[in-house]
Order: sequence, then C-alpha cells, then structure tokens
Amino acid sequence: MGKLSIELKDGKHAFAPGEQVEGRIEWSLDSNLRALELSLLWYTSGKGTRDVRVLHTHRIDSPGSFGLDKLSFTLPPGPYSFSGKLISLIWALELTCTPGDETVRQEIVVSPTGREILLTSVPGQGQDSRPRQSLQSILGVPHASA
Amino acid sequence: MRARDNPFAADRIERIRYRFAGTSLDELLTDLEEMNYRAAIMGPEGSGKTTLLEDLRQALEGKGLRTKSLFVNDESPLTEPQCRRFLSELVPQEVVLLDGADAIRRSSWFLFRRHTITRAAGLIITSHRPGLLTTLVECSTTPALLREIVDDLIPQAHAISPALLDDLHNRHKGNIRTCLRELYDLYAFLPQQ
Repeated sequence: MGKLSIELKDGKHAFAPGEQVEGRIEWSLDSNLRALELSLLWYTSGKGTRDVRVLHTHRIDSPGSFGLDKLSFTLPPGPYSFSGKLISLIWALELTCTPGDETVRQEIVVSPTGREILLTSVPGQGQDSRPRQSLQSILGVPHASA
Repeated sequence: MRARDNPFAADRIERIRYRFAGTSLDELLTDLEEMNYRAAIMGPEGSGKTTLLEDLRQALEGKGLRTKSLFVNDESPLTEPQCRRFLSELVPQEVVLLDGADAIRRSSWFLFRRHTITRAAGLIITSHRPGLLTTLVECSTTPALLREIVDDLIPQAHAISPALLDDLHNRHKGNIRTCLRELYDLYAFLPQQ
C-alpha cells in the first residue's frame, strides 16, 4: 500500500472562474511507477448518466516510487459548481498512477460566490407534485446512531 | 437533498456489482468455457443482466481474453449497416458481449449468430426471452435482494423500512433499477441535514 495526495495552497478549496489553482502533489508507493497523471475535471452526479469532462492533464513519466511536484492549473470561465435535486456538477483534481489502480481525488468549488450554486425549484415548473408530508410516513423510523 | 448527496445517484448505483445466488462468478466462468463462450444471460428488466455481463467482461479480460461489447435497446437500436460494420471489425480472438440481443432485428441476429461462430471467440448475450442461445444463467430478484442493496447504499440514519422496500419491489415487479430510481426521487425531497 502506498500513498498519493493532493494539497492545495493555503488549504483553499473554492475558486473563482478563471482563477489559478495551485498546490502540490505527493506520492509514496511500494513499486516504481511508469507514470502519474494529474487531471482537472468536472463530472455530474444525480439521477441520470454521469458526464465527465477532463480540462487539463499533467503527466509525469517515470516519477519513481516517491516524490512531490507542484500543481498549477488555470480554471476556465465555467461551468460553475452547482447542485439541484436532479443533478450536481462537481469540479475535482484527480491524481492517478500507472500501473495500479490507486487514485486520489480532491474536490474544489468553482463559483463567483465562492460557494456551490444551489438550484431551487421554480414554482409551478417541474415541481414534484407528491405531497411532501407523506415522506416521513414513507421512510421508516431512523436507526439510533451508534 | 442535493443530487450529489443522493444515495441513489446513478454513479453510486453503477458501482453495485452482481449478487450471486446459488452460483458464483468462478462457476459461471467454468460453465462458459464448457459452452465455448456462447451463452445467454436471461431475465426480466432490472434483474441484473447488464451488471452481470459487465462483471463477466472484467473477469474474461482478467483471464487474458479480449472482449468487444455492444449495447442495444429500443432507444439505441442497431441498424443492419451498423451490425455489418461491427461484425466486419471483429477479430477471431474477441468474445462478443451483446447486451440486448432480443432488441435487434431478426435478420441482424442471424448475422450475429452465424458470423460469431467462425469469426469470434464467443458470443455472450443478454436477453429477456429464452431461445436465442443456451441459457447460462437466469437472473431474478427478490425483496431481500432489494433490501440488501439499499442497506449498502444508504447511511444508517436514513434507513427505509423493510415493508416499504417489499412493497416497492412488488409494485415494480422485481425491477431493481426502477425501484432505485423511485428511491432517488424520494430522497431528492429530503430536507438538508
């Protein structure tokens, strides 16, 4: 077992569109690696099929079994990080190694407000018509926390 | 609840692997080898055929076999030219994994069946009905299976009563996929914790 890590400068996780993302990656693995790949990407999560878009990839060939490197990516103007009830769009940095299936992912927020945009329902448009009060009766009694 | 927090989001459901009952992946692989890798995974909608086919794909590739997958359904139909192109690009070392064999036209199916006897290393299909190829396994679901899957997906604090899940399984006629979609909708309207 080894270790891959992504550390963002000053522990910053929220960025404005177009801003520079900076930090460093670190790896310490049992075997010699053929390559490491650091990607800047966004993906969706929700009811439908997942969409993924990789914006930038930084590849390090023959990185050895341990080391560190700087990371620096310029964010595009969009899309913003957002969440609704049906879909969320999530930005992330992902570090993977070859060979092996170790991956580490660091989520970031890309938004002009510094926070994920929360989508709310427009009254009368596309709202779920099921009565909300029935939810508690539909869901069982919560388990007592351990 | 935000979509990303929904325990029934599609990407979480895709991570669920096939649950074997009364058999195992190794036994299926042995059976497949004896059947010259020509067999059908049978079962109704939402019973795990596609999941099992994907698990078999990984297992076959793990054994060093090459695979070539094709997914067909009513929304993604296969035209005869597409079928001919797919078959013409096959190499004899490849095992063809055809998901939705009963959704392709009869003429295309005959082409598939004939072509893959000599020009592929095998043909494994999923189908709702028997008769296309010898059945390898028949997939089915139970309320207990739904409960087991839901238990794996949801945090304890949001546990759903077994009675609801049994009712859900019954209303969806055992289709686990649509059960999980309905649960997604239910959770979408949970207030933020």
